[in-house]
Amino acid sequence: MDPLTAAAAAGLQSRMDSLDLLANNLANTSTSGYKSDREFYNTYLSADALNNPDPAVGDSPVVERHWTDFAQGSLTSTGNPTDLALSGRGFFAVNGPNGTLYTRNGSFQVSPQGALVTTEGYAVRMSDGTTLTLDPSAQLAVAADGTVSQNGAALGQLQLADFADPSLLEKAFGTNFQSPDPQKVAPQSATNVQVAQGKLESSNASPTESAARMVMLLRHFEMLQKAVKIGAEMNRQAMEEVAKVGS
Amino acid sequence: MIRALNSAASGMTAQQLNVDTIANNLANANTAGFKMRRAQFEDLIYQSMVQPGAAAGQQTTVPSGLQLGLGTRAASNEIIFSQGAFTQTGNPLDVAIQGKGFLQIQQPSGTIAYTRSGSLQLDRNGNIVDVNGNTLVPQITIPATAQNITIAQDGTVSYTLAGQTAAQKAGQIQLANFQNPGGLNSIGNNDFLPTDASGDPQVANPGGAEGLGTLAQGYTEQSNVDVVGAFVDLIQSQRAYEANSRVVKAADEMYQQVNQLTQ
Repeated sequence: MDPLTAAAAAGLQSRMDSLDLLANNLANTSTSGYKSDREFYNTYLSADALNNPDPAVGDSPVVERHWTDFAQGSLTSTGNPTDLALSGRGFFAVNGPNGTLYTRNGSFQVSPQGALVTTEGYAVRMSDGTTLTLDPSAQLAVAADGTVSQNGAALGQLQLADFADPSLLEKAFGTNFQSPDPQKVAPQSATNVQVAQGKLESSNASPTESAARMVMLLRHFEMLQKAVKIGAEMNRQAMEEVAKVGS
Repeated sequence: MIRALNSAASGMTAQQLNVDTIANNLANANTAGFKMRRAQFEDLIYQSMVQPGAAAGQQTTVPSGLQLGLGTRAASNEIIFSQGAFTQTGNPLDVAIQGKGFLQIQQPSGTIAYTRSGSLQLDRNGNIVDVNGNTLVPQITIPATAQNITIAQDGTVSYTLAGQTAAQKAGQIQLANFQNPGGLNSIGNNDFLPTDASGDPQVANPGGAEGLGTLAQGYTEQSNVDVVGAFVDLIQSQRAYEANSRVVKAADEMYQQVNQLTQ
């Protein structure tokens, strides 16, 4: 492929990846605690081009990685006492099947054993690493600092984890995040967060903004497609008219 | 590209389920003892396109990878057991439960179902039954000659006979509670059955230390459906459905243009 077509094709491919991310965001506008993903474009340089002082030819844009937008979602009142929402920086910690998972989705339930669990059945961790044992008949009260109490007696404090750089977390199934390396990306105690009881954090994927970005993506795609066509047309003319041998 | 189409389709399916749930809530806005449901969604597994730490060049590595999500799915539609408002009916056998408990109803199959709907009646043998004619557990019988029926806050059912002043005790209504009422199985007719998720029923007298609540005679509990809130959810759901259908269109347009590249 000639450089023009190669660059335009890479551009087309990356816009398709962007639409994949956008489609996932829009599909999850009703998922509590969902954080939207954005793309991070970069130019791909071949090894030859890296050492070339003038790498203008041969660099093509690629979606190299995504970044997760950890912006606060709006809090919706549900009236369910086991629904908890976080306002500020931090995550609930839950016992996943392969280690601790972190989530902002506080749609919890009480398990038959009395533990506070997520919709997947993962138990919510307390600050001392244990899980709760609740009394089914007593009212559940959760204070802003995560202290859980029943009948006026404090049962413990929910573990509220924060990370120096949350962008290093990986997304796992079901609005959960996991640390790629528990040693390097270790949770700290969150200080700048409040727990709201009877509320859920809505997804921070906004349909309006996504619609605008979709229009932009489509127009980019159209322009790149035109560029490929122009490149093909130039090739055709080069072959049919310039390189005409004899008359 | 197929990823975007599938993600959008999963979003549309999820919003359909959301509308189905809201429609059922609204349809039961006037059903006594009805408890609304709320659909919960979660994202699907992520496809890792670039592994974190992969080589990005000869000297550099990618600090964080590229994960592409594959859409959404319905995680659950849990029952919200908030207290509904009380309506006065004047019927001495209507009871509303002020608290967390459930009335126990013997199903024709012999199993015991649990309900919040306290519209009770008498059958021809004088047994207290629900609107479907299934008897209350424990069984309470009122003789045909009874004049006044009183149901106390603690569930004691008593009546007076003509010409007598002393009340006769007919029995005591008991309530059941579950560790996780959200895990109960709805079987229609306002009845629930216990599951492994809900735990076993714990039966006790109303007004006791177990916190099952007290009974209010002459009242029924209205459904806890918030009609205004349901309409707001309906609008949001409809808009989200629309946005997802636009993605299908956008993906289709991109596909079309790719196909036109070779012309």
